[in-house]
Amino acid sequence: MKAIAARDEAALAQLYDRYRVILFGLLMRILGNREEAEDVLQEVFLQVWRKADDFDETRGRPFTWLVTLGRSRGIDRLRTLASRERVAEAGAREASEEISDAASDAFLSEQRGLVNNALAQLPDEQKGPLMLAYFDGLTQSEIATRLGAPLGTVKTRMRTGLIRLREMLASHGESFGF
Amino acid sequence: MGRVLGFRMVHQDYKEMIPARALSALDAADARALNDHLSDCEECRTELQEWEATAAAMAVSATPMEPSPKVRERILDEIRNESKSEVIPFRSATRNIWTSFGSLGAIAAVILVTALIVGLIVLWRQNDATNRALAQAREFMELATTPGAKVMRLDGVDLGAGATANLAYDKNGRAMLMADKLPSVPEGKAYQLWFIVGKNPPMPGKTFTPDETGKGMLRDQMPATAIDSAVFAITMEPVGGSDAPTSPIYLRSSAIN
Repeated sequence: MKAIAARDEAALAQLYDRYRVILFGLLMRILGNREEAEDVLQEVFLQVWRKADDFDETRGRPFTWLVTLGRSRGIDRLRTLASRERVAEAGAREASEEISDAASDAFLSEQRGLVNNALAQLPDEQKGPLMLAYFDGLTQSEIATRLGAPLGTVKTRMRTGLIRLREMLASHGESFGF
Repeated sequence: MGRVLGFRMVHQDYKEMIPARALSALDAADARALNDHLSDCEECRTELQEWEATAAAMAVSATPMEPSPKVRERILDEIRNESKSEVIPFRSATRNIWTSFGSLGAIAAVILVTALIVGLIVLWRQNDATNRALAQAREFMELATTPGAKVMRLDGVDLGAGATANLAYDKNGRAMLMADKLPSVPEGKAYQLWFIVGKNPPMPGKTFTPDETGKGMLRDQMPATAIDSAVFAITMEPVGGSDAPTSPIYLRSSAIN
């Protein structure tokens, strides 16, 4: 990040090469549309280039910063598209079987395995609100409406779910994390 | 200390909201209350970072996918174009452009004019440089290079993360704001500029709505008391504007912490 802040193009290219498949996978999951996801991916890395100075390595990992930024931009785009009624229903989202070669990357596969395994162990009533918040960008009230559950119940389940997820990932010690 | 639904909230109440904040799932009133608390509570800020790391882990549960190689090319092309035009001194926070301009002399003038032309050509070539955008860019430059003028940069925070804006204003308070990458606004809402002097309540500026690419422009007249020592913020308000901010800050100048 320091190299990027010092306007080192190669450093940005290296960061892109390292995280592109994770971020693009995330954006495809959120947006379900290749063209939109690629456009947001481009925006995210341009923002990284412009704002690398803002990254404080004492306050978190580059991975967290990058993913938080990418998800935020993806959700913003999703809302924009939804407001224009250009996004099809979730079930009609662009299906793609194209999986990156990097999916076979051992480290990434291991990380995915840890997270998916942890998510699979959560009860559906906790996992549902987490997924709706993270990938669909819904607020707690919107989730309560979507699920037909009381708002207080949704708040409790979301919090409990994230606490359990953290505990399960932490139980793997240093093995989780980019 | 914040109040939500009439209850006085305590530190523990805010701590319990942090996981949902890391998922950006808080409703507006809760988000506003927690944001206020976070500005005063280092412990909760640290805890938020930890929860954000957990939330970020969820990203890898999505199936990794390969973007088109063209995306990488476009990013690198874009940053090279930006590098060429970075000599335009819009990014400096409180710099008096005219003073710098005069001190650098003719060489700086040539660089500035060249950079402006390059910038305008880049804008034009990027296909979103309509005549109106060019006219606005020209107007902004003219204002920014007026003797005594200043340019302040505003950066997106929280809900506005990623957005940027530059506010140019002259010694008479004539101001022009150009913003980019703003989140879209729901129907009935608009962005509103605020002038903040010391610990006084924010003074309302005009409202504006971004276009579909997230770009927005505003001309305003600053309050006289704000010309020398104001900091600036942008919030999302009803279209007609508010007398006092009703939303979290979307963008702010660097002097506000």
